[in-house]
Amino acid sequence: MRKPGWIVYGLLAAVVLGSMFPLWWSVVVASHDSTVLARDRFPVLPGGNFFRNAATVLDTVPFWRATLNSIIVSTTVSASVVFFSTLAGYAFAKLRFRGSGPLLVFVVATMAVPTQLGVVPLYQVMARLGWTGELTAVIVPGLVTAFGVFWMTQYLRQAVPAELIEAARVDGASMFRTFWHVGLPASRPAASMLFLFTFVATWTNFFWPFIVLGPSNPTLPIALQQLQAAHFVDYSLVLAGAVLGTIPLLVLFVVAGRQLVSGIMQGAVKQ
Amino acid sequence: MGAATTAPPATSAVPVPPTPHRGRRGRLARLDVTVSPYLYIAPFFVLFLVTGLFPLLYTGYVALHDWDQIMGRGEFVGLTNFVDILTGRGFWRALANTVSIFLLSSVPQIAAALLIAALLDRNLRARTFWRMGVLLPYVVAPVAVALIFNNLFADRFGLVNLLLETVGLEPVRWHSDRLASHIAIATMVNFRWTGYNALILLAAMQAIPKDLYEQAALDGANAWRSFWSVTVPMLRPTIIFVVITSTIGGLQIFDEPKMYDQYGRGGADQQWQTLTIYLYELGWTRADFGAASAVAVLLFLIIVTFGILNFLLTRRIAHDDGGRR
Amino acid sequence: MNRKTTRYHLLAVGAASSLVLGACGGSGSDADAGDGDSASGGGKDITLTVATFNEFGYEELVKEYMDLNPGIKVEHVKADTADNARAALRNSLGANSGAADIEAIEVDWVTEFKQYPDKFADLSDPEVEGRWIDWKTEAVTLEDGKLIGYGTDIGPEAVCYRADLFEAAGLPTDREEVAELLGDTWEDYFAVGREFIKNSDAAWYDSAGALWQGMINQVDYAYEDADGNVVATTNPEVRSLYDQVLKASVDDELSAGLGQWSADWTSSFQEDEFATMLCPGWMLGVISGNAEGVEGWDVANTFPGGGGNWGGSYLTVPAQGKNIEEATKLAAWLTAPEQQIKAFEAKGTFPSQVEALSSETLLTSTNPFFNDAPTGQIFADRAEAVTMQPHKGPKYFEINSAMNDAITRVDVDGTDDADSSWAKFVEFVESLG
Repeated sequence: MRKPGWIVYGLLAAVVLGSMFPLWWSVVVASHDSTVLARDRFPVLPGGNFFRNAATVLDTVPFWRATLNSIIVSTTVSASVVFFSTLAGYAFAKLRFRGSGPLLVFVVATMAVPTQLGVVPLYQVMARLGWTGELTAVIVPGLVTAFGVFWMTQYLRQAVPAELIEAARVDGASMFRTFWHVGLPASRPAASMLFLFTFVATWTNFFWPFIVLGPSNPTLPIALQQLQAAHFVDYSLVLAGAVLGTIPLLVLFVVAGRQLVSGIMQGAVKQ
Repeated sequence: MGAATTAPPATSAVPVPPTPHRGRRGRLARLDVTVSPYLYIAPFFVLFLVTGLFPLLYTGYVALHDWDQIMGRGEFVGLTNFVDILTGRGFWRALANTVSIFLLSSVPQIAAALLIAALLDRNLRARTFWRMGVLLPYVVAPVAVALIFNNLFADRFGLVNLLLETVGLEPVRWHSDRLASHIAIATMVNFRWTGYNALILLAAMQAIPKDLYEQAALDGANAWRSFWSVTVPMLRPTIIFVVITSTIGGLQIFDEPKMYDQYGRGGADQQWQTLTIYLYELGWTRADFGAASAVAVLLFLIIVTFGILNFLLTRRIAHDDGGRR
Repeated sequence: MNRKTTRYHLLAVGAASSLVLGACGGSGSDADAGDGDSASGGGKDITLTVATFNEFGYEELVKEYMDLNPGIKVEHVKADTADNARAALRNSLGANSGAADIEAIEVDWVTEFKQYPDKFADLSDPEVEGRWIDWKTEAVTLEDGKLIGYGTDIGPEAVCYRADLFEAAGLPTDREEVAELLGDTWEDYFAVGREFIKNSDAAWYDSAGALWQGMINQVDYAYEDADGNVVATTNPEVRSLYDQVLKASVDDELSAGLGQWSADWTSSFQEDEFATMLCPGWMLGVISGNAEGVEGWDVANTFPGGGGNWGGSYLTVPAQGKNIEEATKLAAWLTAPEQQIKAFEAKGTFPSQVEALSSETLLTSTNPFFNDAPTGQIFADRAEAVTMQPHKGPKYFEINSAMNDAITRVDVDGTDDADSSWAKFVEFVESLG
């Protein structure tokens, strides 16, 4: 492959700058005071008020508890989605069984159910189970997603060469052992992406947790939205909260980013 | 998978000859082969039964009744809710808005995602930085994004219009004009999802064997041609995935139009009221769950139809081995 | 909550589904499956949850109550918008579970929730009789005498104005003189506006929608008559107010055409776009925040067409709660005059309690941003001027939203003229059935 020229870097730089802008702007506004947006609509340089705002955020909302809740929920959901989706995706992509085609179509069709309306019956299920207000109400519905199954299926179709599986089978490995030693390693790049995506989606999810968790046991977005509860909203506080709430994701980004790159670079055929 | 074959993916599934054992171990091994796949997909279906299927059937049931959000079930009314909705103005307007915003966001988004993925697929320095950089919009808190876009696209004092006026152009009525509001909302959607889809495509690009490109280069294909004749066909499953998930997500678009103005009802003339916002209005503002459920059922059917159309279309396009555009 | 096995849960869901499908929509009085420690008080530790939105000023009060009542823990949670609070409350009422022990409701939703009296506990109590202004209590009293809410605050309206713009246009600037100048009726107010815009680049007020809010709240039966029939499209009073406000706003160009709460509206406070604004007490904080650095805002002790009220809330106790008695006590304490004064000091929420309205703290409070106007006294006078609470039927909320849209189409978007926009409004109201 040829070395990329400056055009490639220039285009990418433009994309990344545009992508970074909202985050940068959040940091800038969060480091001023409540009237910054009234004074100039797009402030460019940070002020010196961030730590004071952050302290106010920690004072007004149950930040640590909500962060812990968010970490528990996002980690559990992501790990579970990755494991079960890989398992199902492997079956759909690489194993022959009766009805696999229609079943896969069915999985994809389930994504077409409008989420807004599912909220009410799902809420009633949770109420009957006595889970309202409990983290389980947020975790359980997300344990495995159609998106994840579909994604893993599409990826594993290409990533696992059939001959590897056959070789393992001829050696007398059981189905699960074959999955464990051939399917799972091959799925690593896609799995780390799925983990990242699921984690972020769960972390920022608002409507369902808002409805089902209620006051005493919030996840982070629900705790942070209390900062907006005013007739005149202090956006320097709101965005300070948003920045604080994004930090864990950025940390995950750096860690998962390395994983992603090395995973992708490993190539698929590896045991 | 053999290089450059474009056989339908199903054939790459492995017919596993059960190893010829006798007796109990043989039976177990056979059982292992037949039952395992079902066990692997079982978790999804069990969970779906509770958190997906029940709400779905319930929605269908509610749609056939006069149903108040708080008081619950009233009279059985058959298809009246559907008739009311299909003969009213609101549904068709919402459907047109949804499709318009969907097209404005999906088509450019997938094209841009392919381009960005192709750029990222090059032999870059600081690879991680670039990859994570394009994914940033997906991480930013929605409140920050909403704030920024509301400031950008404000009709009178918005930054975009200020810039347009600076260069001597007419300001655009981003909220009152129907098409302009769709473009603004599509921009918000694209901002959030382009990088995400680019990374998905990139992961698949990385898995393409390098010797295919070398082969294409030997055959005298330039970069553009090898992209169309090697990359795109090899990406087919992933492109299908991206198109279908974008379709499903795009037709259920809710957050962006809801955050686009101060009321979240889709504009004073419903100029950007999408189907999900219409559904939310019926269910939560008017407390008419029967009507809202009927809309949900219709939306479900629309999404499935679109999904199937898209699938067929994408398969055709990805089958074309380049050259023709 | 004890952990049970998944298998048991599946069974439970199966059973639940059949229960929900079979027995949904009755009175819903079957007990919900919460974790049952339903001792009410009695020396046992209990936790009460209070759900509010916007600003109630309860942060310190909640702590105070816990100090006064050891053994009671109070958790206070705020929704970011009133709409989200309403959606969450509707969900939990629909499912008969998940509501807080005390749920705040906004005055505009009172009628829709009055349709479900069984969902709320009766709060009537000789102890609190006569605590609030009459019209505040009337709105939450059912025909059989049941009381579903305790009043928290009200939103008596005055007129806020830019003294500097007045001066530049040759009008008086002193607050008494301005109150005099603005007169008593809407027509007087518009007439001054027509004079003003001849000598100024600014508009007279921010938006037609904001004016509508003030006008329609002075009509006793606007959209629905006493028998509950929808008369929005046939009531001559509604149509004539509609024509009046749009003529003044669009034809006479008195409105700046800025949709209230939009990004443009927020920015406009820095731009000298308009000179007056109808303002309930809680709006002062919005103005001073958005108009940071702008000098010249002041408050005139008057309101066109007599008194007007915009906003204010109640505390309700949902009947599904497990500690209704204790929750009622807490709601009564929070809405007592002395506590409401503390809330007023914290967040400027204007009291609805008779006794609080004559409190020294309230009457002597001033607002530095508004040229040190005696805002406590002004709004107490404005509250006195309010003589009635308009009747709002169960469909008020939707119809008024549609009316707001109709006015926005003409005043802000310019996509319709008054007649074509009215026709769309009629079509919508008829579709409500």
